[in-house]
Order: sequence, then structure tokens, then C-alpha cells
Amino acid sequence: MTANLVNVLMGGVFHAAILFLVAAGLQVVFGVQKIFNLACGSFYALGAYAGVSAVGYFTSRGGSPALFILPLALGGLAVGLVGVVVERGLLRFVYDRDETFQLLLTFALVLMLEDLIRMTWGTAPVSTGGLYLSYGHARILGATVPVYNLIVIGASLAIALGIGWLLSRTVFGRIIRAAADNREMAEALGVDMRWVYVRVFTLGTMLGTLGGALVIPATAAMSEMGIELIVEAFAVVVIGGLGSMRGAFVGALVVGILRSLAISIYPELEMLLIYLIVIAVLIWRPRGLFGTAAA
Amino acid sequence: MILEARDIRKLYGAYVALDGVSLSIQEGEFVSIIGPNGAGKSTLINVLTGVLQPSAGSVRFKGKDIGGIGTVALTRLGMARSFQLVQIFPELTVLETLQAAVVSRLGRGARIFASLAGDGQVQADALDVAGLFNLSDKAHALARELPQGDKKLLDVASAFALRPEIILLDEPTSGVSTADKHAIMEILVGAAKRIGLRAIIQVEHDMDIVFGYSDRIIALHQGKVLADATPAEIEADARVVDMVVGRRRR
Amino acid sequence: MRTPVVLALVGIALVALPLLAPAYHVTLMLPFMAYGVVLLGLNLLFGYTGLVSFGHALFIGIGAYTGAVLTTRLGVRHMEAILPAAALAAAVVAAPVGALCVRYVKIYFGMLTLAFGMVFYTFLLKFYKLTGGDEGMRMLRPYLLGSEWKGFSKTAYLIGPYYYFSLAVLVLATLLMWRVVRSPFGLCLKTIRDNPLKAESLGVSVPRYRWYAFMISAVYAAVGGALLATPTGNVDPTLAYWTHSGNIVFMVLLGGFSSFFGPLVGAFAFIFLQDTVMSVFPYWRLIFGAVLAFIVIFAPGGLMGLFARRRRPIEVSRA
Repeated sequence: MTANLVNVLMGGVFHAAILFLVAAGLQVVFGVQKIFNLACGSFYALGAYAGVSAVGYFTSRGGSPALFILPLALGGLAVGLVGVVVERGLLRFVYDRDETFQLLLTFALVLMLEDLIRMTWGTAPVSTGGLYLSYGHARILGATVPVYNLIVIGASLAIALGIGWLLSRTVFGRIIRAAADNREMAEALGVDMRWVYVRVFTLGTMLGTLGGALVIPATAAMSEMGIELIVEAFAVVVIGGLGSMRGAFVGALVVGILRSLAISIYPELEMLLIYLIVIAVLIWRPRGLFGTAAA
Repeated sequence: MILEARDIRKLYGAYVALDGVSLSIQEGEFVSIIGPNGAGKSTLINVLTGVLQPSAGSVRFKGKDIGGIGTVALTRLGMARSFQLVQIFPELTVLETLQAAVVSRLGRGARIFASLAGDGQVQADALDVAGLFNLSDKAHALARELPQGDKKLLDVASAFALRPEIILLDEPTSGVSTADKHAIMEILVGAAKRIGLRAIIQVEHDMDIVFGYSDRIIALHQGKVLADATPAEIEADARVVDMVVGRRRR
Repeated sequence: MRTPVVLALVGIALVALPLLAPAYHVTLMLPFMAYGVVLLGLNLLFGYTGLVSFGHALFIGIGAYTGAVLTTRLGVRHMEAILPAAALAAAVVAAPVGALCVRYVKIYFGMLTLAFGMVFYTFLLKFYKLTGGDEGMRMLRPYLLGSEWKGFSKTAYLIGPYYYFSLAVLVLATLLMWRVVRSPFGLCLKTIRDNPLKAESLGVSVPRYRWYAFMISAVYAAVGGALLATPTGNVDPTLAYWTHSGNIVFMVLLGGFSSFFGPLVGAFAFIFLQDTVMSVFPYWRLIFGAVLAFIVIFAPGGLMGLFARRRRPIEVSRA
């Protein structure tokens, strides 16, 4: 019984770890640029496919399967650099526009990325095969948990702490927080917003692609994964509060664990429960747990 | 007594914005509320127009308590307001703006299938108000393309189109060139007579305007009423002159 | 005025089309007409009231599934009963959902509507005993004007009686919407779109009118949804997916949201562009994404915006 519960919880925390990465990317972009990036799920998918390709390339060149997580993560991060192209090439034209148009532009991105992924990798699911289990299992309270999951959870936690450190201790972090708070003031103080925006957006994109890459061993890269994930990521940021990193962390845990619990009890419920919570949050506390924006 | 505020207190947390403000507006009066920034004028306006619920005290319009009832309900009762920062409908024409006010006044907003163009009363009323405000020749101009002075007039005109019994004008001449200020005020006063307004309250910073048109002046300072008297008495009151008015140049 | 002339020509073309054009193109007109009805309603919400819904496909789904349930489970085959039933179902759902959503604006409205849309999608997907799950349900050929049109093959039915029936519904929907936007209510919606604060100060109850607009647009979406389901004869949960909601907003933007006929132009352009692109290049989303990006950045007024330019986009009344 405990073993079952631990399994469910660990599954939920693993999912939460991935969700946190994507949600963090969403939050940092929304916080600074006030744009809700519908394409964050698409970047997640991009990272997944790129990760599989990177691992495939690595192993075909004789790389040791035990090290597969390195090309996986690096592949995921590297492809995140397309954020620079997207920001400079598309997004920067709509910063002064109504948020509806900004949202629609990110939707255009969703459409384009969906097909670009199909064009590059085809429509059949791709995966890293059995590499998932190459790190073996651990026994926790009677349950068997893949070590890979623990590695990812640890990495995500480390990144969470890293982001926290970045925001509170570095100059860049301070600039991000200032720009999120009051863009005009930051500009008046001499901060070049273009420089900030491209870096922030790319950071957001890389977090998303990394999340996608890291989840791959546990599932497979499929063509719908992007548009499916956005609704979960969106649930995370609503519950946690738009623009808040702490919100991304707590929100991811809530969504990840609840979803895992729901699936184990009553599979039909799965996302339904999450959506109902989202609606409830939007009604009673629109700014979520840690958000600052008012409805 | 049309509008009466009794001992209004408004607190924002520990900050006291209004500290026991009482005033009353009688039939036929033109009252100006003056005071430096931070004196509580905006808060007072919002309390008087039912936007804010006072922390203590009451506001009564035609004997009815209007504390916090909201702008829509207040409009139904017969009070209208204009805004400090001019508020218009950018994509509507002058005429459409006025028609909207008339439609609202006549309670025809829920007429989903009726023809607006065919509603003779709405058309006539809107044109009428446009005429009162010298906007007839601009009737089909888009509101966002009007010069600033005309935008201000439109803001006020649409409030007048509601045929309110009392109107509250928040800095009706702010942002307007000195040459235009008096023109606007003359139009305003003329229109008020024509539609039978029972009282006008304005918040104003321009002392020439204040002294030129008011029957009574209420001076606000740090959330309290400093003085409530005729222009002549205010002019003679050294405290008010020092704190609010400044030296008057003849 | 040029507009009546253009409309007359378009009307003649639409009526004559089944007699002149190949069957394939005529059948392509059917989703155009269905989406035309949907978009007329969506634009009441978007272009006239200023609210962007990312969950409107919910109501398309309601209309489509009403058609499926009525024809296959309840033995109701008359389209003249199916369409009002779809409208009623939409109104019943839109009343509480709308009442909740219209209290929020901009991005929060978008998020709430997206969430509701996905709730319905999940319901359709998971409760497969009721809804057929991801395979969906069938919708049987509805009776038009009392007749099953038994002698007609599927294609003959679609390019004949069904085409004209859809056209009649579209024309009726257009006339009705024309009256709505030119009514006192329509004017109030525009004030809410332009400046909700000022609208309230003129006594316009902003949440209440938004709610009315929401319900009207939901009804239109459901009627369109029922029309959409008939040609394929099948309904499935993807009708309610959030990307479908995004696509219809795209269609409105493509045609031009500031113009009354913009949505119809957008539906037409989208359907035919999609067909053209798909016949040469399977990756139509890439092209369409680029088109959407182009419109958002360079031509936010859409196709009608390119034509109208100096002329005032929305005519209401000329005194």
C-alpha cells in the first residue's frame, strides 16, 4: 500500500519537475515581457525531439549509453537557442501592441513549430528506447523508482535554486526583477530593454526545451505533446500565480502530484480535476498563490 | 438639498484620505471644490459618485443613501460625471457617443433587434446635445481624431446627454489651452441651463475659472474642509489664500 | 453605395454555384458556410465587444454533438429541430459559463474560456460510454424540409438540398447579426469595447451586456457546429480542442475583425487557402502560422482592412 502511494507520488514529483522547467520558462517571459507564450509547449516538444536526435547521434558515434543524459540535456539546451531567432525575428514587432495580438502571434508560433517538427522528424513517435532504465532502480519505502527520475528531480531542484540565485544575487537577475516590476523605470535608468528581452526570452525557451528533452526517456516524443502540455503549464502558472517563480515551483508540484493521484484513483478524472481547480482559482483568487497581477 | 455628505471618512489602511468631510449642494448651485494635490479631492469625488464606499459617514442624493452603489446605478438616479483624464470612445463618432448616452438614458440598451438609425427619438436627442456643445458640424468625426478641447467637450456632452439632475465635472478644463478654457465653460453653463441641470459640482485647479463661475467654493486640505463659502469670502480668508489659492492677480 | 452591388453579385454566385462548379468545390463551400455562421457570432464577441475567447470551440462542439446525439440516440432527424436544439444547448451552457467569464478581461478572460473549452474536450474524450470517446459519434443525414432525400446519393444531397439549406441558414444568420450590430444594443457593445470605464459612467452595465454578447455568440457557434458536422457525418472531441478555438480566432483576424463582413471573408479565405495549400504541401500549419504572424505584425485589420483603409470600417448609423 505504501509502495503504491510512493510510486504514485514519485511519478507525480517527476512530472512536476518537468512541468516546473516549462512553467519557469513561461513565468520569466510573462514577468518581464508580459507575454503569455502559448508556444512554450511547442518548445518543449522541440527539445524532446532534439534530445532524442542528440542521444541517437551520440550512441551511433560510439558514446557510452551510461552517459546518455549528457547529450540529451545538451541537445535540449542547444536547440533552445532558437529563442534568439524567434524573439528578434518575430516577437519584438509586437511589444507595443495589445496583448491579444501578442497572444495570437505566439499561437502562430505554435502552428509553425508543429509543422516544422513534423517536417524534421516525421509523425511517428521517437524515443530513446531502453536507455531510460540504464541507471537502474532505487528502492524507496518499498517502491521501485527509476534512478533516472531521481536524477531529473534533482536536476530540476538544482535549476530552481539556480534561478533563485540568479534572480536575487546577480546583476542580470536584478535587472530582470526591475524590468518585470516597472519597464519604463528600468529603461529610464539606462537598461537596454532589447538586450534584456532577447536574453530573457531565450532563457525561457531553453528551460522549456530542456524540460522536453529530460522527459523523453520516460515517455516518447509525439507530435501532440506540445499542444497538450501548454494546458498543463497554463494550469501551473494560474495556480501558482502569473509571473512568479515560487508560483511555478508550488504550482508544478500541485499539478504534478494531483494528476498522478487522479490517474491512480479514477483515470477519467485526470486533467478534468486540474481544469476545475484552474477555474476555481481564476474565480476566487485570480492572482494565484504568489502572483501579483490583478484581474 | 440635492446632495449631502455627512461626516465622510475614508481610510486606506492607516492612511486617512478624508477626515470628516461634510458638505451640501443646494438647488441651482455651481460649486467648485479646490485644494492642493493630496488634499483628498479624487477620493471625495469617488465617494460622491458612489464608486467608493465611505469608511464612515454617509452620502445622500435626493435623500437616498448612495454609498458605494456604483456608477451605473447612480446614473439611473440622475447623477453624471466627467473625468479628469478625458474619456472617449476612440472608434465611435461624436454622434454615436451621444447616441449611446441617450440609448442608456431611455433604457433601450437591451433592444437587440431594433434599428438604431430608425430610432427617431435617439437621433433627435443626440443631435440636440451636439448642437448645445457646438459639435454639430463634427457629428460624424471619429472621437479619436478630435482636437483635445473637443474631446473634453464630448466627454462632458455625453454626460449631459444623460439629462442628469446633477453633474460632477472632474477638472473640465485641464489639458486645455487658456484661450479655450473660457469657451468651454461658457458652452457648459449654457448647456446646463438648456437641459435644466439642478446643480453643478466641479473640481478645478484654475482659479480664474473657479472664481469666475462658482456660487460657492469648498476648499479641501489634508482630507478636511478648510472653508466652505462664497468666492468673495474665500478671497478674504487668509488661510485658504495661503494654502490653496495663491496670490490673486487682478 | 458599392456594397449592395457586391452583395448582390456574391448572392447570385452563391446560388448559381452548384449548377456551375465541380462537386468538389461545392462541397468545400459547406464548411465555409458553417464557419461563416460561427465566425459571425465570434466577431460579435471579439470585434464588437473586445473579448478574445480561446475556448469558443466548446460551443461548436456542443452544436455538433447535439446533432449527433439527436440523430443517432434520440431519433430526431429533422434539421429544423436539430438547429434550435443546438442553439438551446449552447444557451444553457453559455449562461453560467458566460456569467462567470465576463467578469474578467483580456488575458484572464482568454484563460478562463480556454479552461472551460478543455473541460468539455476532456469530458468528451474520457466519458466514452456517453460520447464515443476519441472515435466520436456518428451524425446521420438530417431531414431537410421534412424529406430524407432518399433518392439522392451522399454527394447529390450535399451539393443540392443541403447546400441550399446551409446557404439559407447563413443568410438568415447574417441578416440577424446585421440587425444586432446596428441596434442600440450593438452600440452599447462598442462602447464597452472602446472604453468600459466611460461606458459604465453612461449607465451601461458592462458585465451584463458582455454576457448577452457571449450567449449570442455561443448560439451562433453551436448552429455552425451542427452545420459543420453533417457533411462528414462524424463528430469527435477535437472539435472542442483549444487549437480549434485558436484557429477560428485566426479566421476572424484573417478576414478583418473591424468589418461586419470580415468574418465571412475570413472563413472563405481560410477554407479555400487550406484546401489549396494542402493539395501541394502537407504542412499547411506552417504556411498558416506564417500568414497569421504576417497579419498580426503588418496587417492587423485583415483582408477587409486592406480594402477598406480610409473608409470607416464599421457603419452603424448615418443620421
